[in-house]
Amino acid sequence: MENETLDRLTSALVTGSDNDELEMARLDRHPVIQILPDANVIKIGGQSFIDRGREAVFPLIDEIVENLPEHKMIIGTGAGTRARHAYSVGLDLGMPTGVLSVLGFFVSIQNAKMIHYLLAKHGIPSIEPAQFAQMPLYLAERQACVCVGMPPYAYWQPNPEIGRIPPHRTDTGCYLISETLGARSMIYVKDEEGLYTADPKKDPKAKFIPRITVDELIELDLVDVVLERPVFQLMKNAKNRRSVQVINGLKRGNLTRALNGEPVGTVITA
Amino acid sequence: MTEQVHEGRELPLDKRRHVESMLMRESLLDKQVMSSTETPVVPMLPFCHVVKIGGRSIIDNGKKAVYPLVDALAKILENFKLVIGTGGGVRSRHVTSIGMDLGMPTGVLAQLRIIDALGNAHLLGTLLAPYGVVAIPPEILGHMLPFFIRSAPGVICNGDPPFSIWEHTPRLGRIPPHRTDAGTFLLAECYGCATHTLVKDVDGLYDADPKLNPNAKFISEITVSELRTLKLQTLPFDRVLIDLLANARQVKKFQIINGLKPELLERALLDEHVGTLVRKD
Repeated sequence: MENETLDRLTSALVTGSDNDELEMARLDRHPVIQILPDANVIKIGGQSFIDRGREAVFPLIDEIVENLPEHKMIIGTGAGTRARHAYSVGLDLGMPTGVLSVLGFFVSIQNAKMIHYLLAKHGIPSIEPAQFAQMPLYLAERQACVCVGMPPYAYWQPNPEIGRIPPHRTDTGCYLISETLGARSMIYVKDEEGLYTADPKKDPKAKFIPRITVDELIELDLVDVVLERPVFQLMKNAKNRRSVQVINGLKRGNLTRALNGEPVGTVITA
Repeated sequence: MTEQVHEGRELPLDKRRHVESMLMRESLLDKQVMSSTETPVVPMLPFCHVVKIGGRSIIDNGKKAVYPLVDALAKILENFKLVIGTGGGVRSRHVTSIGMDLGMPTGVLAQLRIIDALGNAHLLGTLLAPYGVVAIPPEILGHMLPFFIRSAPGVICNGDPPFSIWEHTPRLGRIPPHRTDAGTFLLAECYGCATHTLVKDVDGLYDADPKLNPNAKFISEITVSELRTLKLQTLPFDRVLIDLLANARQVKKFQIINGLKPELLERALLDEHVGTLVRKD
């Protein structure tokens, strides 16, 4: 009996109930490891960024390439306007949330493929969920890797409380990659400075919020928020990634500064 | 709509190239936009029944628990289309404990646990093969389900959802919250199946663990809000099922039955109340 704690843990798990939260928490004594502590997860927005075409995307690609010598990057993609179209048609035809999730995944793949081809000449690969085991090698060899932002929940996507749109989309998918892998940072590249008190595209009086906690955000109960709402609860539960930053990728230099750990947009912490 | 976004025209003011749709330019995070998307759903496989067979509660108990259940399933498969999901049982618990000791996060534990449940799907799948049941690799289960269920009386797979490293870290501890009870429920909900039944080794839900507390009281029927009020410390099903059921649009109840009384299964599929019924409010 060299490892009594492990024996106790094993027998408690084997005989105890997985559904006994308190008991399971009590047994959870070791910190989680950081699987890829040097990697930064970057999500490039779909509607907010990629749908703007070369004017927005090319300078960001240049900035990613400039940062390759310094930073490891896992680049996930949003879905954007085509997902909205697919969701609209799907809703009209009576598709359940799980099928809409499959459709959203497809659009996110298209965007990942385009970002990948723009980075391909630098030897940067693109991976689908089944290939995640190869990611450490790609990061070690080429410093970056492109992946689909949408989590692969497909038909198993949980329903939202309100409406039918899949609640876990690309903000959540990228966030969960950063949490599970114990990444160095989670940066959302969008077309606004960060979080506002309302949608700045619709309300000129919307006020910018440079720093906020998840609890404050939940308290504010904004009609519209900058990130998918499930991200906030996940951040509160997180073992590794308890802060994320939303930046305006249209401003040259913002990504570099965010990668260097500077606050350049809205920092959200749990 | 004042701006036109058809090809060949000028870019809209916000410089995003949109495709015209109901949700065009909308934030999908806007609560008003979200509620506008509450529309009726088409049930894909309303004639199918989803059955989750417990790993630890049934399969790990070997022949004495499994064979009588297989006999019952064989008979049921003559009249019902079944989508069977399995739990991972004791091996899942063991890999969880080693994984936790090694510092693995929730997403990795979820990925590891899928493999044990898949092993159990093949164990049970082998016993059900003579009756036409096919064990399906989880990667193609979702997409191919309508095809397989037309061609075979039943399919079997691991019950877990494909969350893997995208699993959510729970509020307490790090056990993956979406396990095989939740995964089979989500599949039943998306496909609009007729029933969702959890086959365990207890008669249903009690106010305490009946194996530890002989005075535990049986609860034959309960709603989501009653469960939330009771805050029971142990449950015979994945706790997250309470939240998933609360948001259900198609499968608005599930039943927990005792698989050691295999004759109950067919009755549960006929929508009879033979265990604990958990209902959406």
